[in-house]
Amino acid sequence: MMKSMANWVRALGLFVLASAACGIVYTAAVTLVAQVVFPYQANGSFVEGTDGNRYSMLVGQTYRDDAHMWGRVQNYNAETFTDEDGSVLLWAGPTNESPAAFEFGDAVAQRVEKVRAAHPEQGDAPVPSDLVTCSGSGFDPHISPAAAEYQVERLARTTGRSQDEIRAIIVQCTQQPQFGVLGDAAVNVLAVNLMLDGVL
Amino acid sequence: MIDEIAEYALYVAFLLACALPLSAYINKVMAGERHLLSRVTAPIERGACRLLGVDPGEQMGWRKYLFVALVFSTVSFAGLMAILMLQGVLPFNPQGFDGLSWDLAFNTAASFVSNTNWQSYAGESTLSYFSQAIGLTVQNFVTPAVGVAVLFALFRGLVAQESEGLGSFWVDVMRAVLGILLPLSLVLAIVDVAQGSPQNLSDYETTQLVEPVGVTEDGEIVAADDPAAVETVDEMVVPMGPQASQVAIKQLGTNGGGYNGVNSASALENPTPLTNLLQCASLLLIPVALVFSFGRFVGDRRQGRAVFSAMFVIFLAALFAVAAFEMAGTPQLAQDGAVYMGSDGQSGGNMEGKETRFGVTDSALWAAFTTAASNGSVNSMHDSFTPMGGMVPMLLMQLGEIVFGGIGCGLYSMIGFVTLTVFIAGLMVGRTPEYLGKKIGPKEMRMAVVLAICTPVVILVGAAAMCLDPATFASLSNAGPHGFSEVLYAATSAGGNNGSAFAGMDCNTPFLNTVLGLEMLANRFVPMAAALCLAGSLSARQKVAASAGTLSTSNAMFVFLLILIVALIAALSMFPALALGPIAEQLQMVL
Repeated sequence: MMKSMANWVRALGLFVLASAACGIVYTAAVTLVAQVVFPYQANGSFVEGTDGNRYSMLVGQTYRDDAHMWGRVQNYNAETFTDEDGSVLLWAGPTNESPAAFEFGDAVAQRVEKVRAAHPEQGDAPVPSDLVTCSGSGFDPHISPAAAEYQVERLARTTGRSQDEIRAIIVQCTQQPQFGVLGDAAVNVLAVNLMLDGVL
Repeated sequence: MIDEIAEYALYVAFLLACALPLSAYINKVMAGERHLLSRVTAPIERGACRLLGVDPGEQMGWRKYLFVALVFSTVSFAGLMAILMLQGVLPFNPQGFDGLSWDLAFNTAASFVSNTNWQSYAGESTLSYFSQAIGLTVQNFVTPAVGVAVLFALFRGLVAQESEGLGSFWVDVMRAVLGILLPLSLVLAIVDVAQGSPQNLSDYETTQLVEPVGVTEDGEIVAADDPAAVETVDEMVVPMGPQASQVAIKQLGTNGGGYNGVNSASALENPTPLTNLLQCASLLLIPVALVFSFGRFVGDRRQGRAVFSAMFVIFLAALFAVAAFEMAGTPQLAQDGAVYMGSDGQSGGNMEGKETRFGVTDSALWAAFTTAASNGSVNSMHDSFTPMGGMVPMLLMQLGEIVFGGIGCGLYSMIGFVTLTVFIAGLMVGRTPEYLGKKIGPKEMRMAVVLAICTPVVILVGAAAMCLDPATFASLSNAGPHGFSEVLYAATSAGGNNGSAFAGMDCNTPFLNTVLGLEMLANRFVPMAAALCLAGSLSARQKVAASAGTLSTSNAMFVFLLILIVALIAALSMFPALALGPIAEQLQMVL
């Protein structure tokens, strides 16, 4: 029954055929369609600002400046990537902290204090939870509408625009739940800040 | 609350609406009948058979079927390990990544050959495009195909009148890849790209930082004008490569190994709520369809529905438990009301480790789907779930990955539990145990018990082995009971062939890579052997006609018994371990 060599050769043959079909042909077919039909998405969703720089709209960043909208707590690291010249390129990851840990409680308390200090207009109003938590990817590009609204008065004060102008920008950068039910409404923080800076 | 329930209903309805027609289609594909795509797939299948010298009509006995399945898996394992270790000299490596160390290559090959997709590495900073597309993607296709093949061999054994063999392994694998996995993946990959997932072969890109940051001597990130900064950074990496194509099959094939380290939490892998719906439904699509395929195959759809009902009840209970705990959050996050936890204008609840566009609702849903399905992809960090919210996914894996479970293996392990239930129920009422008209004898019982307890044994032995090495505790990101939860989750994920992680634990050490690799191989191939042995011995048995004394295996009473047996075995084997981890942490949090 076990004419075993023949089966080993067949297994190797099937491995090679599968590599050709699923590794090469499949990947090439998807790449071809993607590049022809969806070149913007397939190449990283980059837009070019009026400042000549390129920004990927799917990669969130950290903002500390009072004149910018703040996003999720981003967990950058400088150890993963460098460019050809050896200079550091940033990358991000999750914290993987337990939300029940006492250290986590201390960290959140500090973040709340910082956010409140920058938003005197909001007084003792509770801080929206996504402003003081780190995201799953570490580079979440979005923030909730509640967290965006929390910052409107500060942004009006620091950028010299009216609150209505700020809110109009936020609405423009908000992705509503798809088909009305899927997911949560999300504001793209990078898009908001590029518009505040006038480069988009 | 209404919104959440509406969204969950939508996900489940969409899943069932796709899975029901797919189940009929799968049966046609596996039987070699004419189907929607047979004009394309049949000639390729014939050509491949000729090329490989395979006799398409061969009827293998269970020993031969198992033997060739093991031969094929061994060749795949060796091939993948070679690709990973040699990626430094292979093409399509624009970032110039080195080959993997032997232990990481062993762990990764074991992981992808066993349909686990546990990842001790971060894909975007470790693997070349060649390793991702030719190495991993290929295993993502063939391992679920092997699962389907073994499952159909078991189906054939269950209905065989006279033993005519279990079919040809080679043909079964080809049909599953060509007829089921490739077409579905093509569709999903294109939608993912349309929504924003990258698909190219370019070098990694960089995105300009609106606010440059400073890096200190120790690599810490500070403000750009901080005096401690020795370097200013104004660019951030954007990983490129063939992402959408690999993400599609990792979802559909109950694989779960992300292109990026953070898996489908990354906006590059899973850009919108629509891709979230499709990826999430995909990860249960084939396992659910196979349950209905089972009913159709044995000629009694009520049997399929009964197994489905048992799985579905456990699944719904788990889903709502995770969602409730995550919506509630923790006192450490709520800060006595200083942090707004409600859901007006935001998701609310425990947002640590979760993405804004998905919120708690879609994150809890994904966690339940992925651990039910033995998929292991994530769209939020399970390590940052609340203690009890994180225990539920762990428990779903510890049940033995039988709530739908991995493609093929979930259902054949569940059939082990069904056999066990038939036997116990038979004992209680004094009837001869039989299932689908086949008498259950001592040999069948031995195999059923192997199928039922293999996962708990592998998990507990693995966790114990990991705890023996003091270095394990040095690699944890959390101390106390949560640290033990991280160890237990790793052992569970590998031992359940799931692949998701409490990712705060660094498992990339030679010792842990080896232990986890062995766990994954054991839980893949021991149940596979038991299922084929069961198929062989059932196929030799004559069918007996149903009589008044036959226990119904399709009514509500049987479904209830089945759930009870599954819960009993999991509770008895896992409760002590869970009490030391998540349950202790929960008590610590509230007391």
